This record gives sequence, C-alpha cells and structure tokens, in this order.
Amino acid sequence: MKGRSDGRGRPDAKLLASLREAKADHHRRQAQLPLPEKVRLVVELQRLCLPLLERRRPLAPWERPWQIEP
Amino acid sequence: MASFAGALRALNELKASGVVDEYAVAGAMALVFWTEPIPTFDLDVLVFLPEQPSPIVSLEPIYRWTSARGYASQSEHVLIEGVPVQFLPAHNALADEAIETAATLDYEGVPVRVVRAEYLVALYLEPGARTLKRRERAAALKESTSIDPTLLAEILGRFHLEP
Repeated sequence: MKGRSDGRGRPDAKLLASLREAKADHHRRQAQLPLPEKVRLVVELQRLCLPLLERRRPLAPWERPWQIEP
Repeated sequence: MASFAGALRALNELKASGVVDEYAVAGAMALVFWTEPIPTFDLDVLVFLPEQPSPIVSLEPIYRWTSARGYASQSEHVLIEGVPVQFLPAHNALADEAIETAATLDYEGVPVRVVRAEYLVALYLEPGARTLKRRERAAALKESTSIDPTLLAEILGRFHLEP
C-alpha cells in the first residue's frame, strides 16, 4: 500500500494484480467443483436469492428452491 | 426424496420412450455444468420432437408423458423429481446443432446430454435473446477454460452473431 497526500491509502499495482488473480482463482476452483456440489450450491443460491427477487417482482409458481437431494 | 439425478434419469426415459427424438440441457444449468454455480430456478431442455402430423409444433405428447408419471405442470414448466423443467423445441439451425453436438456428461452415474459451452454462448447471443443477463452469461462462459475460442469464432461467424 502506498500513501497519498490526502492520507487515503491506495493499493499498488502488485497488490491489485494479486487480488484479481485470487478472484480468478476462486472462479476457477468453483468451476472445478464436482457436479453434485455445484447443484447443492445452486439450491443454496436459490434460497438466498428468493427473498431479493420477491421484493422486486411477483414470483412465478415454479420459482422456488428445489426440494431435492443434490 | 426427489433428486437432480432423478430428473436427469427422467429426461433419458423421455427419449428412450420416443416422446422426443433427442434432448440437451441448455440455459443456466448447462452453464453450471461448464462453469461455476449461479442462481437459477429451472432446467431448460432443448428437444427434437418426432415428426408430427400438424405443421404446428405441440408439446402435448411431452406433457401427456410427464402427467402419466405423476409430474405436475406449473404453467410452461413440468415439476420433474422436484426440478421445474421447461422443454424448448429446437427453434432454428443453431439450436439443432446445439442438440446434435451436445456432450454426454456423467451425473452420479446418470448420463446427461449438455449443450457445449461454445453453443451456449452462441444461443445467448442470438438477436432475439440478447438481454443484459444473457450477455453477462455469454461473457462469463467466454472467460472460462471450457471454451474453445476457435470453435466459438467459427460458430459465431457461421451464424452471423456479434461477439
């Protein structure tokens, strides 16, 4: 981190590159998960997203978290 | 309890029974197969329907088959083993190729045909379907390791689709 004259710290190019690489690595690891684990995460995301979606618009009858085993 | 594997097994049975000539998982769940998990609530399935006497395409034989197995319909979706499935008859040559070239993957011992990532991108970039969400999904796919850039460029060029 390099300081600035206004006192606000800014990340240097090396730190930014490392943060971006970590993010890309996270996406790569998510993509390599076993398929049942991905489906389990999809259902978890459904549970998380549903209340947000419900606030924006009426839901279709099929827009519910799947009642399944992955 | 219902299972995702059970839903995939039902798709294979639908084909084996001759109600559809071929199928391939498309849409967001196909993307999940190739990249990372994203929120989606249904399973899109592209299908080739057998030749029908009427020129108007009907999904009635599919709904009859699913209903006979106790799967409930919810508007245009059928709840198969706890998963809302939407059947989409192939609408053009790109969709035809997407089904024909689909990869057969294994899900817990169940074979499942999934539209290849390059064709998914092309389907997302079709003029009538270019919503912001679809463009974002196409971009995510293009950055993934599952894409063959040469094949993708060839498909986009042949179908006159803007990258």
